[in-house]
Amino acid sequence: MWFLSAISPTALTLFVHAVFVSGIVISVIGFFTSKIPTIAPYGFLIKIVGTMLFLFGLYFEGGLQNELSWRAKVTEMEQKVAAAEQKSKEENVKIVTKVVTKTELVRERGQDIVKYVDREVTKYDTKFLPGGQCEIPKEFIKALNDAAEQAK
Amino acid sequence: MCNCCTTVPVTSKFPQAPNELMQKCPSLAKLSDDTKLSEIAKTVTSNYTSYHECSIKLDAWIEWYGIQKQIYESVK
Repeated sequence: MWFLSAISPTALTLFVHAVFVSGIVISVIGFFTSKIPTIAPYGFLIKIVGTMLFLFGLYFEGGLQNELSWRAKVTEMEQKVAAAEQKSKEENVKIVTKVVTKTELVRERGQDIVKYVDREVTKYDTKFLPGGQCEIPKEFIKALNDAAEQAK
Repeated sequence: MCNCCTTVPVTSKFPQAPNELMQKCPSLAKLSDDTKLSEIAKTVTSNYTSYHECSIKLDAWIEWYGIQKQIYESVK
């Protein structure tokens, strides 16, 4: 029954209603035909065809309602998914804007601190040189480098 | 006719994370043995900056996950 999904709802509805209504009409015609003596032999056949069409039509009517309700649910779900994807994109833009702004701020602050170091801390460079007044111990450098090392 | 004749199920794509969050955190800078005091200060500053940049990304990932989870759960 997969092919039903390829048929438009209007065409499907028209077809099912047509089968159902023609079943009723042919059954009624069959009922009157059997009362007319000249064509009475065909009445039974017409009634059988009409009844079969009516029963198929009735079955299809139930299936049609089911099919249409599923299609409505699918459409609703597709709309929800599309809206969610759109919202997700919008939220991404907000997050990226926040990240870029904060990162810029952090970098600017880092540059300001480097400027401060160049201005104020460099004065003490000679004092802390190897062999200077307050030599920086190699253990201190090692401790800092070990801390910067990524765990393996 | 049939319970559900939809041949293609409705699926939602896994949300795309922003490229800005998809970058690894950089390795921290190290010092040489004969480093000047100012160089030490600059390296420490640079490492702190790297940490702060990385923490911003992590916070953004946490926020992104929370929002995407909320959006996903609203589609039912």
